[in-house]
Amino acid sequence: MNRTSKILRYVSRRLLQGIPIILAIIVLNFFLLNLAEGDAVDVLAGEAGSATPEYMDQLRAKFGLDKPLPVQLLVYLKNVVTLDLGYSFRHDMPVSKLIVDRFWPTLLLMVSTIILAVGFGILLGLLAAVSLNTWKDAIITVFALITYATPLFWVGLMMIVVFSLNFGWFPTSGMENIAAFHEGFDRVKDIAHHLVLPTITLSLFYLALYTRMMRASMLEQYGLDYVVTARAKGLTERRITFVHVLRNALLPVVTMAGVQVGALIGGSVIVESVFAWPGLGMLAFESLFARDLNLLLGIFLLSSALVVAVNLIVDVIYSFLDPRIEIG
Amino acid sequence: MKIINLLGTAVLVTLLSLFGVAHAQKSGGTMVFLVQPEPPTMAGYVSTSGPIGLLAPKIYEGLFDYDTAGKMIPVLAESYEMSADGKTVTFKLRKGVSWHDGKPFTSADVQFSIMNVLKEVHPRGPNSFKEVSSIDTPDSHTAVFNLDNPAPYMMRAFSAYESPMVPKHHLEGQDLKGAKLGNNPVGTGPYKFVEWKKGQYIRLDKNEDYWGSDGPYLDKIVGRFVPDASTRTAAMENGEVLYAAYNAIPNIDAVRLKERDDIGVTTDGYSMINPMALIEFNTKEGPFVDAAVRRAISTAIDRQFMIDTIFFGYGKPATSALSSNFSATGLHAEMPNYPANGDIAAANKILDDAGYAKDGNGVRMKGTFDLIPYGEDWRRGGEYLKQVLGDIGIQVDLRYEDVPTWLKRIYHNYDFEMNLNYFYQLSDPVLGVHRHYGTNMIRKGTHFVNSSRYSNPELDKLLRAGMTQPDATKRAAIYKDIQTILAEDMPVVNLFELEFLTVFNTKLKDAYGSAMGAYASFGNAWLDD
Repeated sequence: MNRTSKILRYVSRRLLQGIPIILAIIVLNFFLLNLAEGDAVDVLAGEAGSATPEYMDQLRAKFGLDKPLPVQLLVYLKNVVTLDLGYSFRHDMPVSKLIVDRFWPTLLLMVSTIILAVGFGILLGLLAAVSLNTWKDAIITVFALITYATPLFWVGLMMIVVFSLNFGWFPTSGMENIAAFHEGFDRVKDIAHHLVLPTITLSLFYLALYTRMMRASMLEQYGLDYVVTARAKGLTERRITFVHVLRNALLPVVTMAGVQVGALIGGSVIVESVFAWPGLGMLAFESLFARDLNLLLGIFLLSSALVVAVNLIVDVIYSFLDPRIEIG
Repeated sequence: MKIINLLGTAVLVTLLSLFGVAHAQKSGGTMVFLVQPEPPTMAGYVSTSGPIGLLAPKIYEGLFDYDTAGKMIPVLAESYEMSADGKTVTFKLRKGVSWHDGKPFTSADVQFSIMNVLKEVHPRGPNSFKEVSSIDTPDSHTAVFNLDNPAPYMMRAFSAYESPMVPKHHLEGQDLKGAKLGNNPVGTGPYKFVEWKKGQYIRLDKNEDYWGSDGPYLDKIVGRFVPDASTRTAAMENGEVLYAAYNAIPNIDAVRLKERDDIGVTTDGYSMINPMALIEFNTKEGPFVDAAVRRAISTAIDRQFMIDTIFFGYGKPATSALSSNFSATGLHAEMPNYPANGDIAAANKILDDAGYAKDGNGVRMKGTFDLIPYGEDWRRGGEYLKQVLGDIGIQVDLRYEDVPTWLKRIYHNYDFEMNLNYFYQLSDPVLGVHRHYGTNMIRKGTHFVNSSRYSNPELDKLLRAGMTQPDATKRAAIYKDIQTILAEDMPVVNLFELEFLTVFNTKLKDAYGSAMGAYASFGNAWLDD
C-alpha cells in the first residue's frame, strides 16, 4: 500500500471516530448547561424590566423550553444531524448565521496569533538553546517568564494606554473604523490596523509557552546519541542544529499548538473583551449569561469539531516531520 | 373643556432656542456612541431594556416628548384635549409624517400601537394604558382614547422610549415577538436603521424625509458595543466614541475625564427614569419579618457615605419611598427613619426596644444578603452595608450570583432574606413605584415587582385612589399618606437616588433638551469641529 492511500484511510477512520466523540460532547454539554439556574426567558424578561408570567410561559412554549429535558435533547440532536444548529431566540436569528458572522474575526485573530506565537516562539527558543547560558539566553528566558506570568487583560490595557492613547499609533478597539465605513482595499488595511494590538497581546502569552518549550526540547535533543554520532561523523554544528535537532525538537511544539487551537477559541474571551473584537469567545461568554443554550451548544459543537480536525492535522504533520512515526 | 395648546409652547421654545444659539448648526458627520451591553433585538415595543432604549428612540417616535421641566413637547401628536371627567382624551396627530418605508403615518397606527402592541406585549404598557378601553379614529389624524377611569399618569408615558408608535402594516397579523421588525426596525424618527453587525455596531443613517424642520443634522449615528469598561474609557479619551450614557464609563474614570477640556460629564437626562437604590426584604419569612428591624436598618445606614465613597459623590440620599424628582408634581414628602448620615445609636435602640438582645459576640440575628449582580459598585455597596449591619448586631453573609440565578431566587422562588437592588421609579409613581408595594403586584415569576410580598389593604386603597385622582393637590395628599405608611412598615428601604453619568465629547452639541436624555431621538444633535 502506498503512503497516500494509507493516509487517506487513516484520515477517514479518524473522522468516523470523531462523530461519537462530538455527539458525546453535545450530550454532556447539554446537561451541564441545563444545570444552571434560570433560562433564556428569565434573562429576557429581567432585561425588559418586567413581564407577566403568562407572557413568560408563552415565550417558553415558543422556545420549546416547556418540554422535558430529554425531549429537548432529542429535538436538538435531530436538528444537528440535519446540520441545523437551531435558532437563537434571544437574537431572533438562526444560530448558524450568528456563528458564521463571528467565526471570521475569530479565525483571523486565531491564525495571526498562532503564526506569530509559534513562529517567534520557535525562533526565540532556538536562539536561547544555541546560546545556552549566555546573556541572550538569559534575556529570552526572563522575557518568556514575564510575558507568561502577566495577566492578559493587563497586557491588553497597557497596550491600549501606550500605543493608542500615548502614541496614537493604533485604534483602541473594534475591528474596523465605524465612523468611516471603508470599502475594498482600504477596509482590509483598516482591519489589519485594528488587528495588531489584539494579536500581539494574545500572542505574548503563547509565545512565552512555545519559547520555553522549544528551548527545553532543543536541549533535550542535543543530549541524545544521534547528535554525538553526527558530531563524530564530522558534521558542522550548524547542520546538526538545523537539520537534525530542530526537526526533532519541533514535535512537542506542534503537538502543543494543536491542542491550543481549541483553547484559543475560548481563551481569547479576555482579549476579545478588552479590544471589543467581535469573535466567538465573546459570543459564547455572553450567551452563557443570557442562557442562550442553542447558541452556546452551537459554539461548543463548532469548537469540538475544530479540535478533532486540528488534532488529525497535527497527527498527519507528525508523519512528515518524523518519518519514523507511522500512520495506520 | 380644558384645552392645552402645545403648538404655542413649541413655537416659543423654537424661537427661544433660535435666539439662544449663537452658531448655526452644522450638518454632517458621524456620531459614534457607546451602547452597553449589546441589545438582543431592537424591539422597543416588547422590551424596555436599556440598550434598546439607547437606539430605538432614534428610529421610533412617541406621541410626545418631555422637556427637562417636565413639559410635554409635541412629536407625533400636535396637541391633545381632555374631557372634564378625564375619561376621553383626543389627540390631533401631525400631518405629513411617513414611515421610513414611505407609507403614511395615521391614526390607525396609533390605535394599533396602543391597543394591539403596547397593551399586549410591552412590559409596562399594560399598566400605562390600563384604563384605555378603546381608541376611536374618526379621521386619519385624530385618535380618541376612551378611558374607564381618569388616568393622569398616562400623560407621562408617551415618549418614544416608553410608548413607541409602531407601523401597523409591519406587525398586523404577526407574532409580535418574533416579527421581522424586531431586527429591522421601521419608524418615523430622524434616523433610519441601516445595518447591525453583531458584536460590533448598529448603524443608523439620517432620515432625509424627516418631518421636522429642525434637523436631523448628523449623517450617521453608530452605536458601538465595547464589553470592557477600561477600553470604553480609552475609546472616549481617544475620541473614537463621542457619547456614553448610563455609566458606560464608570464613575471612577468619569471623574478623571471630567478634567479634560474636550470631555464633559452630566447627570442630566435621567429624571424620567428616576433610578432608586434600595434594599428589598422578605416580609413573609426569615429574620426581617418584623418592621422594627427594617426601620432600624434604614436608620443605621449612612447614605451619604455610600454615595461619596462608592459612587464618587453622584447620588442623593433617599428621604422617603418616593424619589425627590417627584417634587415637581408635588408628590414627594420627606419622612422619618431616613437619616442621611445614619444613626447607629438610634438603630440599636429600636432593636433593643423591640426585644432583640445581643449575644456574647454582639450578634442579635443572622441572615443572608443578596446583591444585585450588575457590577462592582453594588458589591462594594454590599460590603459597606454588611459592616453597618454588623454595628447594630445583624450579621449577614453576602451572596453574589449571576443574573438569571439571582432573578430566579428573588422573583420566582422568594428564596431570599434581604436583597440589594435598584428600581426605576419612572415618570410617575403609578408607573414605577406601585409595582413594588401593591398586593396585586405580588406576582410570582414576574421580575421587579413586589418581591417582599408586602400586603396592606389600607395602602392598596390609597394606591388605587392615587391612580385615578386627577386633581394635583388631592393626589399629593394621597401620596403623603402612602409615604407615611411605607416609612412605618418599610417593606423596602430606599437608599439613595442614583445619579447616572453621561460622558460626552464637547464636539457633540444639542444632544440634550429632552428629559429622556440618552433615550431621546438626538434629532437636533450636531457636531462642531
